[in-house]
Amino acid sequence: MIKNQFGFVLFSVLFAAINVSAAKPSQAVKKQTPAGAIPPIENLTFADMPYDVGGTALLKWDVRPTDNPDVMYQIYVSSLETGGWIKADEFPADTRTGKDIELPFWAWNASVKEHVVKVELPNYFGEARTTGPVFNFKVVTIKDKKSFDSGIVSGKTASNWFRLDRLNNLLLLVTIITVFFWAVSHAKRKGLFIRRIAGLDAIDEALGRATEMGKPVYYVPGIGGMSGISTIASTFILGEVSKKVAQYDTQIKVPHYDPIVMTVCKEVVKQSFLEAGRPDSYRDDINQFISQDQFSYAASVDGMISREKPAAIFFMGYFMAESLLLAEVGATSGAIQIAGTDQESQLPFFFTACDYTLIGEELYAAGAYLSKEPMLMSALKVQDFGKLVVMVSVFFGIILVAVGARLHWDPFVQVILNLFGAY
Amino acid sequence: MDLLTHFWTWLCGFFVITPAWMTAGAWLAAGLTIFLFSFLYKDNPFFKAAEHLYLGAGMGWLLQVSFYSVLVPKVWEPLMKHEWLVLVPSLLGLSLLTQFIPKISWISRYGFTFLMGYGAGLAIPVGLSTDFISQISGTVQPLSMMASMTPWMIFNAFLVAFGVICVLFYFFFSVEHKGHMQKVSNIGIYFLMIYFGAAFGNTVMARFSLLYGRFDQLYTFSSSKYLYATQFIVIGMVVYFAIHAFFTRGGKEPEAAR
Repeated sequence: MIKNQFGFVLFSVLFAAINVSAAKPSQAVKKQTPAGAIPPIENLTFADMPYDVGGTALLKWDVRPTDNPDVMYQIYVSSLETGGWIKADEFPADTRTGKDIELPFWAWNASVKEHVVKVELPNYFGEARTTGPVFNFKVVTIKDKKSFDSGIVSGKTASNWFRLDRLNNLLLLVTIITVFFWAVSHAKRKGLFIRRIAGLDAIDEALGRATEMGKPVYYVPGIGGMSGISTIASTFILGEVSKKVAQYDTQIKVPHYDPIVMTVCKEVVKQSFLEAGRPDSYRDDINQFISQDQFSYAASVDGMISREKPAAIFFMGYFMAESLLLAEVGATSGAIQIAGTDQESQLPFFFTACDYTLIGEELYAAGAYLSKEPMLMSALKVQDFGKLVVMVSVFFGIILVAVGARLHWDPFVQVILNLFGAY
Repeated sequence: MDLLTHFWTWLCGFFVITPAWMTAGAWLAAGLTIFLFSFLYKDNPFFKAAEHLYLGAGMGWLLQVSFYSVLVPKVWEPLMKHEWLVLVPSLLGLSLLTQFIPKISWISRYGFTFLMGYGAGLAIPVGLSTDFISQISGTVQPLSMMASMTPWMIFNAFLVAFGVICVLFYFFFSVEHKGHMQKVSNIGIYFLMIYFGAAFGNTVMARFSLLYGRFDQLYTFSSSKYLYATQFIVIGMVVYFAIHAFFTRGGKEPEAAR
């Protein structure tokens, strides 16, 4: 009996072994893809887009030998547990690798061995619903009108606190801050050199003319807000101009567009009159609010200039289309005019209608040059440092990039371009 | 009650756009345009009237924009929904108004400080990115495609880089511009002037298109449909200037107000 049982078991084992060995080739045949078919993607992974505000997903899978222009990939996304698929993207299979993600080399491994696709969820689900909830993704491979679905991957996106891709920006900022503190310390101890700015010599001439003629001086600070650098520079120049006006005992009028700028300018002019030892000459109506409508302001200031015929007019600050309207009326009234703005589109009009024009950064420099304030001088030095950085970087950058591109050193060129990426 | 209803019906009917209203509007538009243009001849009462009307209308318009586009949707409506956080920026904004009361004007410093801090925090990173780094990458990047560039394109890329360096040097205040430095700085000025010339032409063309718009409207208003508004106003003003010149002949213009 036992022998019979043993014989049966042995037979069964042998039969099973024969079946297994016979089945192996048949299973292998089953796994093989039929001719013309493409196996579905097996290693699809989800990742949150690094260093962003959230809402962007990254889908990654390995580049396969079958990836060629005839094969297409379609990306689907859904916010539901089942179904609800929305087509997010479609592209040829030989495109979209890690190299196409626009992140610098220190923040991203730009591998060409894997496909990486960005899915910007706000485009399909709105801004508010995309950071936090879980989304499902799948990739469909299409060839010859046949489609092969990948597995489904899920994940949620998150906002990042730190943007490693902007590390170069941070390093430059830290360098500039360091230079600024050095410059402040140096300016207080030894002073800093600033070259003469030609247009500023005309200020004394203009104020002297106004004093001799017994006519007022107009100082127009433009239509910028107090957060504008040109307006801030303008208030510093106003301080120096009004100090001289107080010393010469002439009149100054400052028509305003912005009430906040007017408040600041009031304090500046009052302080200047005080420093000049003429607080009694200060009047509250030196600074006048006109209008916060651009062309109403221009029309009104034009009217004031044409009626009062000032001897000198300063246009310092932020100006737009009203620049020529103001400067032309001033020129017609016979006033000596000194202008300065960082709005390059308006500078040509000031050139044509004014006697002296401070171009762009000369306006910023003028405030520092006139006041000799260590803080302003330091700010100017930092700007000069920045310009030096740009000049040197452009000089060496064009040489290195040109040589690198000529010799086809693509990674080298990419590194240089990444270093100067603003992102 | 009947009287009130009649008045209301009349008032509503009064503001219905009729051909008569259109003609009145055309006269107003043509008149104000010509009044403002009359400044090209000299200052006159018509210009003053238009100037003050423009100033008042501009301020009135801005007031209602501030009220309906800022105060109501950004302060009033959130408060009605019990979103109390909106009180923080509102109070900071209100603190600016304390400037008008000297005893408590120090409170406005909080508002101003926040404005300056917020402005600096917003402007510095953006300025650094756009004024420094983008400037460099924008100048250098074209040469990264050197292999596929024509000689003219390569020359153009180098010329731009050269121009950037020279112009930046003109604005470099830490060294005296003498000798070779002066030459580099002068080249920078030439680059700037070429740009300014192009910008001038571009802007003048844009201004001309605005002028054509006004002339086109004046032409439209000169038709019989609008009772020859343009012609009558122009003739009226010419007559005024002629009479004014006749009566002030030999006399001096009144001295400007001091």
